[in-house]
Amino acid sequence: MKPRRARRRGAFTPYLFLAPGLALFAVFRVYPLLEGLWLSFTNARLGRAQHAFVGTANYVRLLDDTRFHASLVNTAYYTVASTVPILAVPLVLAVALNRGIALKTFLRGAFFFPFTLSVVTVGLTWLWLLDPVIGPSTYYLRAAGVPVRSWLADPNTAMWAIILTTVWWVTGYYLVIYLAGLQDIPRELYEAAAIDGAGGWRSFRSITLPLLRPVFLFVLVTHVIGSFQIFGQVFVLTNGGPGDATRTVVQHLYETAFQNFFHFGSASAMAWVLFVVILAFSLLQFRLLRGHTQY
Amino acid sequence: MPESKPSLSRRRFLEGAALGATAITVGPRRASAQAKPTITYWNGLTGADGKIMDELIDQFTRETGIRLEQQRIVWADLYAKLQVAVPADEGPDLALIHTVEVPHFANDGILEPMADSTTSAKGFRGEDYLPSTWQGGMYQGKRYAVPLDVPQHLLYVNVKVMRDAGLAGPDGKPRIPTTRDEVLAMAKQITKGDTFGFAIGTANPGRYTWGFHNLLWQNGANVYTADFKRSGLGEPAAIEVAEFWGAVQNQHKIAPPANANCRDAFIAGKLGLWIAGSWNFTGLREAKADFVAAPVPRLFKQATVWTMPHQFTLPKKKAIDAAKRDAAWAHVRWMSDHVAEWTLKAGQVSALRKPHGDSRITGDPVLRTLLGQAAQWQSGQATPKWVAAENITRPVIENVYIGQKPAAAAMGDLARQINALPD
Repeated sequence: MKPRRARRRGAFTPYLFLAPGLALFAVFRVYPLLEGLWLSFTNARLGRAQHAFVGTANYVRLLDDTRFHASLVNTAYYTVASTVPILAVPLVLAVALNRGIALKTFLRGAFFFPFTLSVVTVGLTWLWLLDPVIGPSTYYLRAAGVPVRSWLADPNTAMWAIILTTVWWVTGYYLVIYLAGLQDIPRELYEAAAIDGAGGWRSFRSITLPLLRPVFLFVLVTHVIGSFQIFGQVFVLTNGGPGDATRTVVQHLYETAFQNFFHFGSASAMAWVLFVVILAFSLLQFRLLRGHTQY
Repeated sequence: MPESKPSLSRRRFLEGAALGATAITVGPRRASAQAKPTITYWNGLTGADGKIMDELIDQFTRETGIRLEQQRIVWADLYAKLQVAVPADEGPDLALIHTVEVPHFANDGILEPMADSTTSAKGFRGEDYLPSTWQGGMYQGKRYAVPLDVPQHLLYVNVKVMRDAGLAGPDGKPRIPTTRDEVLAMAKQITKGDTFGFAIGTANPGRYTWGFHNLLWQNGANVYTADFKRSGLGEPAAIEVAEFWGAVQNQHKIAPPANANCRDAFIAGKLGLWIAGSWNFTGLREAKADFVAAPVPRLFKQATVWTMPHQFTLPKKKAIDAAKRDAAWAHVRWMSDHVAEWTLKAGQVSALRKPHGDSRITGDPVLRTLLGQAAQWQSGQATPKWVAAENITRPVIENVYIGQKPAAAAMGDLARQINALPD
């Protein structure tokens, strides 16, 4: 039996290994988070040396900020509307690529390529593609006799153009995740199902989908968190327009903090509201999907 | 022949070491006292004018030995960065900003005030400058900036588009509209398929506040009332402008959609009459676009022309390095002395009057047009809230442009938002 002092020393060892990581986490994550929380209760403004405690005034002001309300609705709309294509498109492609079709390696690379581009490059490319006067889409649609519309200038279609851009951009990333999940499913299950007379669709529904549940959970949670934080595509493609039709919470937060009077207090309040919303959705998703995960 | 071995006594070794140490410690100090400083310079000249600025800075370094480390950042990001960096004492030694940014940066203590004794000692005198540009460097009675140039609007007329629409004379020269009726009539004649008659602004004409301000000023309206106590955008004159803003797209159907890139459309021969900034014209020449420049037409009561002078500023430092501050002033002085080159190459009319008589400048038809507009120039109001008001104007006027909101309701809402801007 080990002496008590040695046991006690051993108990500290894991924490020593964790200490550098925890220290960095505390300095670069926890501290800014708490500093942001404090700022949200002040009238802090960039460039102003002093700031005063204003209680919940910044949060109360958000109740009257119609543009913030619009940005919350738009963000929720984007999140919901983009979830199905983000879940489905990479899955369909992954299943197809997992079946050993021709040019499999090339296609994997081709689908993944957009994800290697920065959001600004992606945004500018699609801005040009969708330009209502000189864009290639406009040219070919007009040549084909199809009525041309300005996707990004129409409040009814602008958000869908952003969703389309995002799907094109991130499909490759989720495709790789799905492929990894598909390759983890034992082949014997499919062989047994085939012997029992199950067709492709039945195997997909009864084997692939249930066993991909952990992957779905990962894709869903990361996508929803990313969707609530969407900024780059909106900033480049529409800058929140037309009007406020694609203004999202982070866009509104950015403008409040860095363009309109540098109001860090108000912007921090927005950031904390967004944080609470994301946390709530993440917990809900874990609760809904975790209990039913099959391995 | 016997070789004599060099002997090294302890005394000689110590003497040599002392000499070496002296050389190491004293030598660089003498050298650094003679070396010219390197200063940091932030600007937003991200267009074709940035290359011209590079050339001039290279020439400045060759002539003076002073080096400039530039950071060239999109204007909006540059201003955010200044606001963050200066309080942290990480700001540049010199910054070029727009006139309308002076009041709020001065108000926030981001800019160093310039004493009259300093500016006059450096040779900067108000009477040498166009009055509005010199005045634009002032805030609450103190000077914070020295003007460089006067970016402004003008009308670009696409020669090929005008000819195709039958709007050219027998000599092939396009007809130039000077009034609203003429602009509308010509634009309607031009607009066909994917070719549009008229637009204001470079990219995303729907939210081009600088064009909207130009029209406000032409109609005698403004963002704030003269006493800056409330917004003037709810007034009938401003609503009339907003109605026109929406009508070009929705009623007359002569303007491209809200998010179109008008510059590219103009170069591609898809746009006939284009009111845009003077900074575009050197790029149009490079792209070999066939165009003529004309004064901004009078679309409302007066032919006011929007301007946005660039101003040299000295961001605040916790401890001023005299050598760097002198070097920054030396560059401002040098650029002012060479501003004719800047005008000729970058297409920006100088804030200084003297180069306006330069035959190379008056010989250029576009520069001549720009100078000819001088009597109609107007700039933004000197209030710290101007920029914030401009930012919240963008989505509102875009809603009017795309027909999502009636002009009167939009302007009333915008005026309320501007009045509610916190101090």
